[in-house]
Amino acid sequence: MPAPAPTIELSPAARTATRDLILVLADSKRLLGMRYAEWILGAPELEASIACAAMAQDEWGHARLLYALLKDLGDDVDRLEHGREPAEYCSLEALDLPPQDWPDLVVLNALADAALTTQCEALLGSAYAPLAQRVEKLLEEERFHAAHGAAWLRRLARAGESARGTLALPLTAALPALLRWLGPDSPRAAALREAGVVNATGSALRARYLERIAPLLAELGDAAPPRAPAAPDFAGFDEARRRVSTHGPDAATVARIRGDKNRVFLMD
Amino acid sequence: MGPGVPALEGARPHERVLRRDRASQPRLGAEAAGGSVSPTQLHPLWNALREVRDPELPVSVVDLGLIYAIRRDGARVEVDLTFTATGCPCMAFIREDVRGRLLREPGVHEVVIHEVWDPPWTRERMTEEGRRVLRSYGIAA
Repeated sequence: MPAPAPTIELSPAARTATRDLILVLADSKRLLGMRYAEWILGAPELEASIACAAMAQDEWGHARLLYALLKDLGDDVDRLEHGREPAEYCSLEALDLPPQDWPDLVVLNALADAALTTQCEALLGSAYAPLAQRVEKLLEEERFHAAHGAAWLRRLARAGESARGTLALPLTAALPALLRWLGPDSPRAAALREAGVVNATGSALRARYLERIAPLLAELGDAAPPRAPAAPDFAGFDEARRRVSTHGPDAATVARIRGDKNRVFLMD
Repeated sequence: MGPGVPALEGARPHERVLRRDRASQPRLGAEAAGGSVSPTQLHPLWNALREVRDPELPVSVVDLGLIYAIRRDGARVEVDLTFTATGCPCMAFIREDVRGRLLREPGVHEVVIHEVWDPPWTRERMTEEGRRVLRSYGIAA
């Protein structure tokens, strides 16, 4: 049970970094929800389809809560949700393109969702009370996502050589970028930690994340990705958006996420 | 969710200073922010909300444990309301049903609803009555 969060006034630098972190999480969860939703009727089994529907609903619920917090930090939330171009999104690069097949989606579920959860766990007991007051509920809902991703990754890993082989490529493609996404050990990250907004950054988050996914990677045998580099390459990394690529998600997905065709139905 | 649903309220000023004791259960006469109100004045408000049903379950929002506190200051009532899930598709309905029912109480002219997520809702927050009703419908509770 975390101790009550002290109330703090954030320095301008910590405030900016807090705002950017919330937007990164909100955008990533909105994208991930859409990626799950794309499989609601396409998963290999009805149970998996229903799980994708439930996880999509959770991720969009989390995104809605997180976007709402940005009003306090000076953002025009309506513009953030409905008025940005793809290049303005701050979502995980792993979510930029739709998963091509079910193993792709399983890797997102098991590894990308786990990276978001590792970042959210670092907000437990946050000195920024609005985050502290919401993160427990988010993490509680994430427990099922982790169990689902792990179960499917194990299932594919144990289903024989050809099924295991389908995991090698998406895993090898995803893991280095996810480790990099957790960010550098920079002054900006240190300011966020010292303000008590997060309880870990950079290398410490990477260690937590690797510990979380180690049991999964151990089962993959010859599909396991090569050992991740101890220190990611941060060349060209935009710390505010947590991305190297200056593009964002594909335009068609962003149009759906913005609700371009639904604007006429938006009510106050 | 998303487009078509009004934006949620952000954090409220009182959230910045208040971390509820996690063990606390909603109770009559929950701490009044803006004045002293006796439990007997709040009692009718809790009873009114026992008439507001969850849109998906045959249980009231009180018995489901969604109401964390009610405060009254004259004609103004404040409610701390949570939801079973962050992606609850019925948030707007529940909010409006709570508001509408309280506005029918004598002397209530303004209802302010605070959306709270701390402590997180779990099944343990249901009342015995809520559990009994759900079980009678064959829903695990």
